[in-house]
Amino acid sequence: MTSTNLVLLLLGLGLATFFYGRQKAYVVSKSHGGMRNMHSLPSQHGVMVGLWCVLPALLLVLFWKLAEPSVISSLLNSSIPASISEAGEKSVGLYKNDIANIIESGTASSDPEKQAVAERWVALSSISSWVLVAITLALAAIGAAIALRKISADTRARVMVERVVHWFLIICSSIAILTTVGIVCSVLFEAVRFFQQVSFVEFVTGTKWSPQTAIRVDQIGSSGSFGAIPLFTGTLLISAIAMVVAVPIGLLAAIYLAEYASDRMRAYAKPLLEILAGIPTVVYGFFAALTVAPAIREWGELIGLSPSSESALAAGVVMGIMIIPFVSSLSDDVITAVPQAMRDGSYALGATHSETIKKVVLPAALPGVVGGILLAASRAIGETMIVVMAAGLAANLTANPLEAVTTVTVQIVTLLTGDQEFDSAKTLAAFALGLMLFITTLILNVIALYVVRRYREQYD
Amino acid sequence: MNTQTTTSGSGTSAASDAFDQLKETVGDVTVTDPKMCARNVDVFYGDNQAIYDVSLDIGNNEVIAMIGPSGCGKSTFLRCLNRMNDSIPSCRVSGDMSLDGEDLYSTSLDPVLLRARVGMVFQKPNPFAKSIYDNVAYGPRIHGLASNRAELDDIVISSLQKAGLHEEVHDRLDAPGTSLSGGQQQRLCIARTIAVSPEVILMDEPCSALDPIATARIEELIDELRQNYAIAIVTHSMQQAARVSQRTAYFHLGKLVEVGSTNNIFTNPQHELTENYITGRFG
Ligand SMILES: Nc1ncnc2c1ncn2[C@@H]1O[C@H](COP(=O)(O)OP(=O)(O)OP(=O)(O)O)[C@@H](O)[C@H]1O
Ligand SMILES: [Mg+2]
Repeated sequence: MTSTNLVLLLLGLGLATFFYGRQKAYVVSKSHGGMRNMHSLPSQHGVMVGLWCVLPALLLVLFWKLAEPSVISSLLNSSIPASISEAGEKSVGLYKNDIANIIESGTASSDPEKQAVAERWVALSSISSWVLVAITLALAAIGAAIALRKISADTRARVMVERVVHWFLIICSSIAILTTVGIVCSVLFEAVRFFQQVSFVEFVTGTKWSPQTAIRVDQIGSSGSFGAIPLFTGTLLISAIAMVVAVPIGLLAAIYLAEYASDRMRAYAKPLLEILAGIPTVVYGFFAALTVAPAIREWGELIGLSPSSESALAAGVVMGIMIIPFVSSLSDDVITAVPQAMRDGSYALGATHSETIKKVVLPAALPGVVGGILLAASRAIGETMIVVMAAGLAANLTANPLEAVTTVTVQIVTLLTGDQEFDSAKTLAAFALGLMLFITTLILNVIALYVVRRYREQYD
Repeated sequence: MNTQTTTSGSGTSAASDAFDQLKETVGDVTVTDPKMCARNVDVFYGDNQAIYDVSLDIGNNEVIAMIGPSGCGKSTFLRCLNRMNDSIPSCRVSGDMSLDGEDLYSTSLDPVLLRARVGMVFQKPNPFAKSIYDNVAYGPRIHGLASNRAELDDIVISSLQKAGLHEEVHDRLDAPGTSLSGGQQQRLCIARTIAVSPEVILMDEPCSALDPIATARIEELIDELRQNYAIAIVTHSMQQAARVSQRTAYFHLGKLVEVGSTNNIFTNPQHELTENYITGRFG
């Protein structure tokens, strides 16, 4: 019996014992003169019985499955030929790998000795799984029996069920938190390894980025330079262009939608605007590279400038278009959330519609709007695809939007693609960049959350 | 009309009969020196009629109190007087209304200018998300009532003083208006309204969130303002109506049942419904 089937069987048992326990609790309640005299409801007793039946057995299955492989393999150690176990750890590992391959492929091996070991392995694991089934079912039965005996007028089944639910929820939320912590730690440790090879000061103050490291010690140009400033200025430049495009357009669109558009108009326009957020960034990328960048080059040449074919401007403008819905949608929500009473107050003083928007509605919605803008900004900073396709890879330190620049995220991608040794400074640099980027967007998000929270408090 | 000896059971049915038969408002709806006139006003929210054929004058230098059970249309009628109902899409108003003889609902009249002349204090305090100072300065600023900062300061401070709020907030005029207590917020809204010196002030239960001291202060203010303005006040407090108003109008289920001098209404009501209401036997 596979462990999936076993778990399903357990769940079925749990359901059955739930119904049985509930039934029994009804009977008990009758003999105690009605539900009024019971501490907990019958269904809570039922859940208690079901949990007693399932939980211990499930935990057993979990630990058994975790421990099984190592236990079996240590049992097999005795049947490994002496010649191999004497040859050391490595050959034992190889031997076990062979055996695992034989089992997996299901074909008979040419080596009868290995074949015998493989068969022993299979036999052992089948015994193990039957023993597991037996013990699990016994445990489930014992648990259910204990719980059924506990059903009585003053059993605090409700409290127990509440506590289990409580812990279950705690476990679920810790999974999310632990994953985040895990990601941060893995980036952090690699970044620390990078800073052991390249000084932190050089990384944050250096103006030259050329992450070429030597593969052999005697190679020329063996020392790369890891000055991250051009990358961060590139990110800043492109994000700034994107915000210059997105904030006015997004905000004005939001004001139109929230204040002037008829209900019908709003019903069509808002989803249409939000579609912008659903377009894959690759599509934006080739829109930027094939349409916007050449157009910018042509116009630039018309007025006597010589833009490079890949420019920060093209990437920034397209990125701005991409994040318009982030600004407009959130701003629209906060503007509509400004209470009608506040508008009425302004109208009653003889203010016009636009005065009311400018002087009452927008100031009231400002914190929420700022929150939306900051979220859009952190989205822009993290964006990669558009920049790869439209802004190029050259790490120029420039403020000229017509030149090619590169961003932190793009460099992370180029550092990690292709065959790389994972302990060279070049690849580790990606983690250091990732860490810096993470810290930047984290700070932005914290500010955004803080601002949005302050806004919420205002109307409560 | 004046059936004082009915039992409460038959009294109710007699009252609803009296309401069904109600064709015309009891008492004189006109005044000799009217500031605002309403004639045969009907108000609909979608298909529901909220006001039935109401005619009423608001005189210069008078305070008129509007009383009646909850949901009878007092706020609705008040909001028609400065066209605040325009912002409710489903609301439709018919009939004639005028301010100094000018038709309120004619196309040539600009509702923005109208509202600068007919100010309103709402049932629920609704301060702007601005500082206390800016809340009061808002109206004078948009209408350009002050030519420099000193004049603006004067307007703000005297408005706050009149509303009885200045003492409590004089040292924190920069604090947000929303940080005040409910009653203080309401007085802030009153200060905001009188800062633009409107000709008529409509007050919708301005004191429902106030303690007796602040209420007394507002009532004093209303009495002062009466020297220069016309004031309509909706209230659920019969005592308040008796204290501040010269005339009283009793509304019932969207109809104006009875109008008269406050003294007469409270001592000698003519209509059975009015009497039931002011003696505490509702509807
Ligand atoms: N915005 C609206 N949309 C639809 N119906 C409304 C609206 N505002 C008020 N009404 C309806 O109009 C009627 C009168 O309401 P109104 O607010 O004028 O009563 P009121 O006399 O001010 O009551 P209260 O003393 O409780 O404030 C009520 O039946 C109400 O349901
Ligand atoms: Mg009302």
